[in-house]
Amino acid sequence: MSEGGGSGRRTRIIRTDYLARVEGEGAMYVKLDGREVLDVKLRIYEPPRFFEALLRGRAFTEAPDITARICGICPVAYQMSAVRAMEDACGVAIDEGPLRDLRRLLYCGEWIESHSLHIYMLHAPDFLGYASAVEMAREHRDVVERGLQMKKAGNALMALVGGREIHPINVRVGGFYRAPSRSELRALRDPLQSARETALATVRWAAALPFPDVECAPELIALSEPGAYPIDLGRIHSDGGLDIAPAAFDEHFVEEHVEHSNALHARRRGGGPYLVGPLARYALSSGLLRAPALEAARAAGLGAICRNPFKSIIVRAVELVQACDEALAIIADYEEPDAPAVEVIPRRAVGHGATEAPRGLLYHRYEIDEDGSILDARIVPPTSQNQLVIEQDLRAVVEDGLDLPDEQLALRCEQAIRNHDPCISCATHFLTLTVDRG
Amino acid sequence: MADERERAAVVLIGVGNALRHDDAAGLEVARLVRARAGAAGIAVREQEGEALGLLDQWEGAEAALLVDAIRSGAPPGTVHRMDASAQPLHAELRGSSSTHAVGMGEAIELGRALGRLPPRVVVYGVEGRCFGAGSGLSEEVEAAIGPLSETVLREARRLAT
Repeated sequence: MSEGGGSGRRTRIIRTDYLARVEGEGAMYVKLDGREVLDVKLRIYEPPRFFEALLRGRAFTEAPDITARICGICPVAYQMSAVRAMEDACGVAIDEGPLRDLRRLLYCGEWIESHSLHIYMLHAPDFLGYASAVEMAREHRDVVERGLQMKKAGNALMALVGGREIHPINVRVGGFYRAPSRSELRALRDPLQSARETALATVRWAAALPFPDVECAPELIALSEPGAYPIDLGRIHSDGGLDIAPAAFDEHFVEEHVEHSNALHARRRGGGPYLVGPLARYALSSGLLRAPALEAARAAGLGAICRNPFKSIIVRAVELVQACDEALAIIADYEEPDAPAVEVIPRRAVGHGATEAPRGLLYHRYEIDEDGSILDARIVPPTSQNQLVIEQDLRAVVEDGLDLPDEQLALRCEQAIRNHDPCISCATHFLTLTVDRG
Repeated sequence: MADERERAAVVLIGVGNALRHDDAAGLEVARLVRARAGAAGIAVREQEGEALGLLDQWEGAEAALLVDAIRSGAPPGTVHRMDASAQPLHAELRGSSSTHAVGMGEAIELGRALGRLPPRVVVYGVEGRCFGAGSGLSEEVEAAIGPLSETVLREARRLAT
């Protein structure tokens, strides 16, 4: 994990070639010279680039299924940005009505599933002092079971609306292959009500965790929708006054290649790093949270804006309450659509789609031919947008923890990375096996 | 599905990503077995995405047979068999090298810690060659999955009786 510098010099290198509890593959590199931080790098092996190439030449209707496999944790986010972009290209907008409600409901399932996983399995061990959820489970079984119970409610929602629990197959451009019945949805009320109670307990539990007194200063970017906490559609807003349609993304944001990572780093054109994700959504739309979530946030001591990345665990818990409550509201009012999908006829065009993945803004842009084949695909995931901010956070943590032993400092750094729930991943499952035959 | 879950004594779960070439090996084995199975008490499932879902997949079963792609440096197509019933998988397999937040090895250990692990857990790993984006298995893995599906089906039937 660390290695000494040259003899007589006080160069320290902190390196974690694999980041535990971060979805995907990544590596962290910190170089110190005495008390000077020389270099901080977060290396990401990012998959969307591969998938962009894979999409070219495929039918526009295949994009939701293909992009769903980019991320093992948030397949719905990829599907939703993809279908919105394809519908945009074809001149269709599903902005209201039962089909839109169903999409929002499905997305709530993914927020519940993903936030439960992150809060309890990935982030909680940092705060409670365990190396992993497995070790934590031996002494805090109740904590882990709470997370699994909520995750299961989210999965049930995804299974019913999306077709199956992970990598839903029921989503299509124009809507769904099959719409659930009212009675099918009503069967989810009990588990969702339990999950909402557990989510409220999660906010109280998270608020009592110890937090360092730090703040991050970047511009906060998230979708905004009048009258609703953003999930599945909206305009792109910032706390600096930005207000644009998703179609204008490229005019305001740029992705740059950096040598140490095969992921692109995003920044504002003519500006600096920016942050997407729960802290940004909360800062821009906390006033639009549903009553139980807003009350829980206030009781937890959160103001209208929270800039402490360590407290993102509380904000995620508040969003868990929001997602459970919103899902229950959609189910209560649900009327089955006349048809499970609207017709979408391809044409030669460019389409844009932006939605709020659990980790933040996910932007898709596609150019399709008149027969619907994909000519070009561009996917900007939340993690590449947050990468510069994560590196800034890392630098601050290192500067603050110079006197810590390497191992503790590395752990502090990993926690700072996990604050942003980076989805460094590709959804591969293969395992690396080393056999010592010595 | 829920009824089937309650009844199945043995669950055979193919783990993988269909769009990562050889990472689809586990899913392909599950499909081959499903086409031949028809045996009482055996449920065949596929697990894409994060691995914690395995805890629900094997809930109530007496035995879980997991099939996944693997990368150990052995020749592509090599099949590894590991019994995780009583002890963790090899340390390098436990999750830290997986590309997942919670890998299969960690899901197994979490199940063990929570008392949610079937009494019998066996992991079959097929050595892969190519894990880049795209569909289709490498020649070596393609050749291995037929015999492997017969092996795991035999073991599933033995465990189910």
